[in-house]
Amino acid sequence: MSVGAEAVIALLVITDLLLLGSSRLRSCITIAALQGAVVSLLPVLLHGDEGAARAWSLTVGSMLLKGGVFPWLLRRVLRESGVRREVEPFVGHTLSVVVGVAALAFAVWVDARLALPVSATGHAPLLIPAGLATLLIGLFLIVSRRTAVTQVLGYLVIENGIYAVGVALVGGVPLLVELGVLMDIFVAVFIMSIAAYHISREFDHIDVDQLDRLRG
Amino acid sequence: MPDTLLWTVLLLPAVLGAACLVMRSARGILILVANGGAGWACLAGAAAWGAFARGSLMTAAGWLRLDALSAYHLAVLALVFGASSVYAWGYFWAETATGSLSRRSARRFGTLWFGSAAAMAAVLLSNDLGIMWVGIEATTLLTAFLICVHVTPLSLEAMWKYLVVCSVGVAFAFVGTLLVAASAQHLGIGASEMLRWTSLQTSAARLGPGSMKLAFLFLLVGYGTKAGLAPLHSWLPDAHSQAPAPVSALFSGFMLNAALYCVARYLPLVEAATGDAGWGRQLLVTFGIGSILVAAAFIVFQRDGKRFLAYSSVEHLGIICLGLGLGGVGTFAALWHGLNHSVGKSLAFFSIGRLGQMYGTHDLGALSGAMRRSPIWGVGFCGGLLALIGVAPFAIFMSEFQILRAAAADRAFVVLTLFLLGVGIVFVGALRHAITVAWGEEIGKPEPQAGGAADAVLVWGALALLLVLGLWMPGPLGSALEAAAAVVGGRP
Repeated sequence: MSVGAEAVIALLVITDLLLLGSSRLRSCITIAALQGAVVSLLPVLLHGDEGAARAWSLTVGSMLLKGGVFPWLLRRVLRESGVRREVEPFVGHTLSVVVGVAALAFAVWVDARLALPVSATGHAPLLIPAGLATLLIGLFLIVSRRTAVTQVLGYLVIENGIYAVGVALVGGVPLLVELGVLMDIFVAVFIMSIAAYHISREFDHIDVDQLDRLRG
Repeated sequence: MPDTLLWTVLLLPAVLGAACLVMRSARGILILVANGGAGWACLAGAAAWGAFARGSLMTAAGWLRLDALSAYHLAVLALVFGASSVYAWGYFWAETATGSLSRRSARRFGTLWFGSAAAMAAVLLSNDLGIMWVGIEATTLLTAFLICVHVTPLSLEAMWKYLVVCSVGVAFAFVGTLLVAASAQHLGIGASEMLRWTSLQTSAARLGPGSMKLAFLFLLVGYGTKAGLAPLHSWLPDAHSQAPAPVSALFSGFMLNAALYCVARYLPLVEAATGDAGWGRQLLVTFGIGSILVAAAFIVFQRDGKRFLAYSSVEHLGIICLGLGLGGVGTFAALWHGLNHSVGKSLAFFSIGRLGQMYGTHDLGALSGAMRRSPIWGVGFCGGLLALIGVAPFAIFMSEFQILRAAAADRAFVVLTLFLLGVGIVFVGALRHAITVAWGEEIGKPEPQAGGAADAVLVWGALALLLVLGLWMPGPLGSALEAAAAVVGGRP
């Protein structure tokens, strides 16, 4: 395993915990963008030797999206809605970090129990637990936060986690599928931003917890 | 010839969707939706027919493939999409007159409407399980804004829930897809063929059983969210009740089936990998029964007609899931039930949509006596409702009966009892609504409406189809169902 890959794994976990601990939405967006950019490096670091062109194009493409386009879109939503902070999440920020550490421990335990088949080429042993933990933390962000922007960030964190797990498991799916997935994520974030914008205009807030008129 | 046909089926909706963007008037877009939708439906039907005649069609170096299972689903999609497109024309026409459907909303509707057809066609036509996932995710994204063609606080709320729940749910299915690829790694399949269904299927027995089991769990949760199986159905009643009626019809009539189709694709793979012990099927039976019972519990208390129909979709998708899980006659009956439910549910949504426009509400109590005010849509709603709750001799009764037979043949008597209990509760709960709408005391008194020729064709056509299929199974349909069931496999 290369030093680069180890650094990526470490950054993945650190950004996870930072996201759980910060309440300012602007810094959350920046952290998530950093995480996306870091995860995008994986194909080049682990599979750079076999198909350099393929690995580089994927890395550049997803880095542009996750590190550039998504934070730009989300900052616009933030500006238009005038929200600064995640006030009173369902689970406090300190407790959230504890939950994040627990998720990490759980992911390591699950990985040891499952003995998943791993990619033969350029495998990094800690990548699967780090990816699984990221997935769980993304899910936790979605259910424990109130604003629409944090929920979009949670979705992005889940996607980052899945991407890391995917690189570790199979080394990378066919290029066409990879591109399709990337396009889907792009459209998803794009549409969610438009929706969050409409919600902020219609309701004067982006507090999705208050979207509770439909029930039963 | 088959090459161009498959490509046309896939790309024509995208072209039509782009055309909607440059149309000048809302009415022009509606006419394009009706004609384009019906035309595409004929084309897709022809492609399905070709696939049945030749066994399977394949093109684009194996990326696109239409076999009996996908061809059958494509035919159902064609039927639902064609009918809904024609219906959308009538449904929105009045709104263009009052100005509540602006040119902008009409453009957005047309583009996304055709776009979602292209995405669903991509799900069915793709031979690559990764592209299939991309297609399902694309349907979520493209249909999200169809829920709020009219932007209201309630429709935004429904859309947000739909977007977040389904995107996150379907992300789990991608983990499952990756795990499937991982369990095929030792087989030495080339990188570009790693997720091909055909290459996985030929060596399914040698896939790693442990990781395939884990993969199937992820896939079932992921695609199950999109199919609205309980307890993952939380988005479904909101989205169905807030979307305009043609969109609700497409949701219930095909989008849910498309997600379940993905599960059916994986079923033979996981069964072969785990030694045909029925592990995956058992899971489907559990999910199916759970959905039927949860839907039955909620359906009794529904006052809103569209929410009522949405819970009924949870029930029917549960029944299809149960049938697939039972195998044998059950698989055949489940696929047939899919067609019957799509026709019946589309009809019911069509009718309640137009009644809702007349009355200004979807409350079933307020719609009391609607059959006298609007004979066509009143008959459509009552007939659709009766068909959906399984009144003989409509086709849904017959397919449910066959699933019962499959359960009895399996000696799964607990399953059989729970199934009967759930269906019985729904029957009793729904019957009073049908009676109220048909013969109840009138509360609201909107202007009576006669209904146009297209309306009559839609209502009577759907009712006749359900009736005929209940009494007599045409030869080609029977053999198509058998071929499709053979793809899903299971004990004969």
